Amino acid sequence: MLAIREQQSSSDRAQQPISVDLPYPGFQFDLCLRNQYLISKGFKAPIAVKTGTTIAGIVFDGGVVLGADTRATEGEVVADKNCEKIHYLADNMYCCGAGTAADTEKTTDLISSKIRLHSLNTGRQARVQTALRMLKQMLSRYGGYIGAYLVLGGVDCTGAHLYTVHAAGSTDKLPYVSMGSGSLAAMATFETQYKPGMSMEAAKELVSEAIQAGIFNDLGSGSNVDLCVITSRGVDYIRPYKEACSKGVRQGDYSYKQGTTAVLETKVREIKFDVVSVTEHKMEVD
Amino acid sequence: MSERYNFSITTFSPSGKLMQIEYALMAVEAGAPSVGIKASNGVVIAAEKKHKSILSDESSVSKVEPINNYTGFVYSGMGPDFRLLVSRARKIAEEYYLTYHEPIPTPRLVQQIGFSMQQYSHSRQVRPFGVSLLVAGWNQGRPYLFQCDPSGAYFPWKATALGKNYINGKTFLEKRYSDELELEDAIHNAILTLKESFDGKMTEYNIEIGISNKDGFRKLTPEEIKDYLSAIL
Amino acid sequence: MSILEYNGSAIIAMIGKHCVAIASDKRLGIQAQTISTDFRKVFEVNSGLFLGLPGLATDVSTVERTLQYRLNLLQLRESRLLTPRSFMYMVSSLLYERRFGPYFVEPVIAGLDQESYQPFIATMDLIGCPMEKNDFVVSGTCSEQMYGMCESLWKPNLEPLELFEIISQALLNSVDRDALSGWGGIVHVVEKDRVTTKHLRARMD
Repeated sequence: MLAIREQQSSSDRAQQPISVDLPYPGFQFDLCLRNQYLISKGFKAPIAVKTGTTIAGIVFDGGVVLGADTRATEGEVVADKNCEKIHYLADNMYCCGAGTAADTEKTTDLISSKIRLHSLNTGRQARVQTALRMLKQMLSRYGGYIGAYLVLGGVDCTGAHLYTVHAAGSTDKLPYVSMGSGSLAAMATFETQYKPGMSMEAAKELVSEAIQAGIFNDLGSGSNVDLCVITSRGVDYIRPYKEACSKGVRQGDYSYKQGTTAVLETKVREIKFDVVSVTEHKMEVD
Repeated sequence: MSERYNFSITTFSPSGKLMQIEYALMAVEAGAPSVGIKASNGVVIAAEKKHKSILSDESSVSKVEPINNYTGFVYSGMGPDFRLLVSRARKIAEEYYLTYHEPIPTPRLVQQIGFSMQQYSHSRQVRPFGVSLLVAGWNQGRPYLFQCDPSGAYFPWKATALGKNYINGKTFLEKRYSDELELEDAIHNAILTLKESFDGKMTEYNIEIGISNKDGFRKLTPEEIKDYLSAIL
Repeated sequence: MSILEYNGSAIIAMIGKHCVAIASDKRLGIQAQTISTDFRKVFEVNSGLFLGLPGLATDVSTVERTLQYRLNLLQLRESRLLTPRSFMYMVSSLLYERRFGPYFVEPVIAGLDQESYQPFIATMDLIGCPMEKNDFVVSGTCSEQMYGMCESLWKPNLEPLELFEIISQALLNSVDRDALSGWGGIVHVVEKDRVTTKHLRARMD
């Protein structure tokens, strides 16, 4: 496989990927057939980590507030009790992610990269609209198979903006939005309490209320409330803003006496964290 | 006789030279001067940005370009070729960051850009780049300064000069350089080196300076350059 | 049955005071039939940096070799060691490359940073969503049991010897309630100047 790829790329002259240790651009589909075969033989396809999530945001007087819970689930198991769902895109915009965790993570990373290139090449800060466009174009190209449901918020030279992006690439621009499995609970809170032109403090409190509604009413959401306040003066990323439920204190101390575990064989190896010598050592391994 | 070896960039002359590479280097030597100096706590790159006509809009032309948060390029030679290398370098840097979530080490970036330039010295239907680059970077707590030539060769420097009158520039730097140099002094020295071969009056608008230190890479604003100039003149 | 459960495996990594530990079972099975009781699923990709690969055994080998190849090449090229965090992103990139036809492994990474000696553990799902933790991570066919054991046994600032007992007991008691994993265990405890590897005596049924 590799030999073939190298042949192809050497004919591709100056455009070839320069480093073999960097991944090839784009997705690889070489395992798809095998995996499909396995599924046809009756093996269940494994599930990826989802962020069955509550994410929300509102526009206030002078900026936007984004909020998210911090639970990641793998089926019914809580895979991460305190994960970060508000992703950095640029200094003036952030993006909350719901859906398949890897997809939200990698999509926001990629768009963040593209925005950085865009601002380097244009010499100015990118607009939120630009990021939105990049996101929806990328997601719609994959026809919804990249399971990223996003709330994008930011401030640029044209003011504060808040958008939602669905995995299929459709987008909305609204003064208050919510996404994820807890979006109904969050939206119920917004519908009853949102007012145009709120102050920053009131906006933060309202988003926190909305996320908590998700945490308590939706099983896919849980743990803490993270907030991210973006104004033209800068970003205030508050993690955690509020711990919705604190864990009880463990009463017993379960510890084992040394020697409890029966050991068959023990090997102790000294290691030196020396950059040069260890690299040479790695050569001998193979 | 030598015309025979001018036809293809991939044909060696009997003396073992690739004439097109030599000519590319001449294009660099004919280009506007640029200079780079590594100090103990950072690195500075600078270039002359003179315009043939007073009618040209200086503010829209840029010779010192940031590549990522910690790295910047400057060049002597052909501007359009430089832009292509800059955009390629930015992509390389971003690709690396996406994979490892760590800024690309400067030597690695230079190595890859050097590789890219080397491709153009032995490929069909292309010509070598008419630029030499100076790369300023800060990585793992230390400064880096590299030069990258049209052949794809690259060298680490303590200080160097490129372009028109580079020999004078280098001689000047040899006299002024010391290992204990601080970034502030290095900026002064960079301006003085440019001044060695500068025709006419040097202003904050006809030179450009970029610095890289622990806080990252940035271009100096015309106001900052003006302050340095007034301290020198 | 999920394809991730075809061969059976259980891996835990835990953070202690200036140390980390990674433990795995040793079974290789084909569904209910045990093939080997000395199968390697934890690999030392660098001195003091461990990669645990529970999942489909064929992909365990492929992923391990691909990663070792990319890592060695990178480290030779840059003559430096990759930090555990960067290595995590490297693994994550490899897995996400195959987003639509994934490798059936859910890696665990454990190691000490070469400069600050900060302990580092992380895990990810089969398409490479990185999850960095500061207590413990588990992965494998009995992850629910392991979550339970670790939640009750783990506490902050465990010394290397305590950490060994706790991670071993967490592993052994978890695999006892899982038919697919077990049959021996291996624990690596990484401190800043040494790696201690212990093979555990376990139920062989």
